[in-house]
Amino acid sequence: MQFINNTFFGIFVSVVVYLIGLYLFNRFNNFFLFQPLFVGMVLGIFVLWVLEQTMGVSSTIIYDAFWHGGKDNFIGANLLFWFLGPATISFAIPLYKRNDIVKDYWVEILLSLIVGLFISLIIIYFICRALNLSDSVIASLLPQSATTAIALPLSTGIGGIPAITAMTVILNSVIVLAIGDQIVKWLKLDADPIGVGLGLGTSGHTIGSAKAVKLGSIEGAMASIAVIVVGIVTNIVVPLFARLIGLK
Amino acid sequence: MNKTEKERIIEEEQKDASPVIIQLGIFAAVLFVSNILSLIMPKAFPVPVPVWGLIILYVLLTTHVVKLHQVEKLSGFLIGIIGVFFVPSGIQMYKSLDLIKEDGLTLFIAIIASTIVLLITVTFTTRLFISISKKIRNRRK
Repeated sequence: MQFINNTFFGIFVSVVVYLIGLYLFNRFNNFFLFQPLFVGMVLGIFVLWVLEQTMGVSSTIIYDAFWHGGKDNFIGANLLFWFLGPATISFAIPLYKRNDIVKDYWVEILLSLIVGLFISLIIIYFICRALNLSDSVIASLLPQSATTAIALPLSTGIGGIPAITAMTVILNSVIVLAIGDQIVKWLKLDADPIGVGLGLGTSGHTIGSAKAVKLGSIEGAMASIAVIVVGIVTNIVVPLFARLIGLK
Repeated sequence: MNKTEKERIIEEEQKDASPVIIQLGIFAAVLFVSNILSLIMPKAFPVPVPVWGLIILYVLLTTHVVKLHQVEKLSGFLIGIIGVFFVPSGIQMYKSLDLIKEDGLTLFIAIIASTIVLLITVTFTTRLFISISKKIRNRRK
């Protein structure tokens, strides 16, 4: 028990599982299921689960040790998590570098994001209905295009379960990172870099933007702008949509 | 964008990167102000700190208050290893394992489907709008 109440436990686990993922990803020719983030996540959860079983303590104790180094400490894996803030503002740079595209197409960009988001909400709603999901689960899935800080209060506001929303937002990133660019290629939608960038940024948030930056400068800039605009648009559109379909 | 501005970006890029401590300082200042802005936003309309920061840093760059060489290196470094920063969030789902137990598979399918729907719909809509606007622009010429 003593050894996990340690500020470096969570950081150590997070970095090591990611490195294992990175190794597997390189070893198996970038096979999408070995995406470092995905492997790291699954392995990390597995490690915590094994610790819980072998040490016979509650999952909360294990989680606290992982997240902030146990009851006596404040820092653990949350230190790495904290860096998502500075990393997100970093996307201002790829955005600024393609200011030419922003200036030429800002009207189209805004319109596409608003219309695209609204159509997505309708399709997502019908998929959920087809899968026979309850109203509270549907309400939890609707705000997913925004980042966690926006999506969680939205979800609560329309009767959703914040934990499901949080999980959805995380999985968005992992899924887009793993298969986002392949899907776009399969559907032959990759001819327009502006569209690809906005799509990756909307569906995969910051992680999707990191992927977009790797694809090209326009894609990276567009994904960055999507992260800003979609967050704000979701704030407005989702409550309206929820009222429209009579959620709450 | 006029040519001079394009040249300006290239010129800024070619300058030697500022020392890391200065780059950190700029990031810290932007995040500090973002935090204040985020706190004074109404609760019904939250704008998270990183989104404010992104907007502020972008405006500072566009107005040339902050130059590219003063932030580019740190930002490139942070974006390059953003995957590691995200691992704890992923492992956080350990806490929600009970949620998945009930109707986990359906929920999982719904999440994958909705992610793909978001990606395809936005990409497709944009492609449509851009191609329409390009046609209109060409006709004007």
